[in-house]
Amino acid sequence: MAKTGQSRRRFLVALAFLATGFFFLARFLKPVAKSKKTLLTVAAKEIPSNGALVYREARVAVIRKSGKISAVSLVCTHLGCTVSATPEQLVCPCHGSSFDWQGAVIKGPADRPLPLYRVEERDGRIAVLL
Amino acid sequence: MFRDFLKHIFPRIVLQRNLRITYTFCLGGLAFTSFLLLIASGLLLLFYYQPAPERAFQSILFLEESVWGGRYLRSLHRLSSHLFLVLIFLHTLRVILTGAYRKPREVNLVIGFSLLCITIFDAYTGYLLPLDQLSLWATQTGMELVGTTFLGTPVRGILVPDGVGQPISLLRFYILHIVLLPLSVLSLSGLHFYRIRKDRGLLPYL
Repeated sequence: MAKTGQSRRRFLVALAFLATGFFFLARFLKPVAKSKKTLLTVAAKEIPSNGALVYREARVAVIRKSGKISAVSLVCTHLGCTVSATPEQLVCPCHGSSFDWQGAVIKGPADRPLPLYRVEERDGRIAVLL
Repeated sequence: MFRDFLKHIFPRIVLQRNLRITYTFCLGGLAFTSFLLLIASGLLLLFYYQPAPERAFQSILFLEESVWGGRYLRSLHRLSSHLFLVLIFLHTLRVILTGAYRKPREVNLVIGFSLLCITIFDAYTGYLLPLDQLSLWATQTGMELVGTTFLGTPVRGILVPDGVGQPISLLRFYILHIVLLPLSVLSLSGLHFYRIRKDRGLLPYL
């Protein structure tokens, strides 16, 4: 071995610098957006009793069942497609998962129930909170 | 490999007295370093800036508020750009005052002067990008001025086809600022350094 030297030490130092550099680069690349707390609001009387309002773009359904108002997310827990609403259940068009209107899984590749959002009544309007 | 690259930049024999800092104050080298800083900070800024009129200003605000190191990065880019221009001017001044433009270095003077013009134009196009009040009106007045020069109207038609601050013009300034002008600066700089070596380095009598 003719070359003496500190090549191993230099390699480790370079590695340490690279690791720190990548750590800070990762922090730079992940912005922390201040998220708004309310997903959407709707006038309470617009929600049909024993029915639901389906918002496809916001991906949420606001349900009134026996007087109680709830909000279920329409994002399929399998791979994220928006589930389609039918009178009996929510069916995902991508791989066939189906959920009931409380979000529980009936069948399909999905294994986690649809998340429910909290709702708050403010002045006759229902706010769906993130 | 990097060491060999750095070594090849210098001639085989360098007189020790030529390494005094007051020889050239290393202005050209400092200018090029600030240009490299601009490239690095610009590359990172690319991740957040959005070149559309209704989103440009907002994206800069977002960068400053919600991104770690965002405010620092933007300031770094801006200050390096100021520094770059100052250093290039000082370098040109040094070249002229030390007569380093005489035979056989006239070609290099021309290359250097083109670099100066391209750099100024690069800074100008970059100035518009945040689309705040200062930028917009600076560009508006600048483009009016351009319109009054010889061949000004077609040049203006190419630079800002749909008016200052409109989508196509912003995009055009953006392309100029991040691709065309930096590539020109890089290639002309390479040529500039090649000519320095070809002319056997700095003048020996300063």
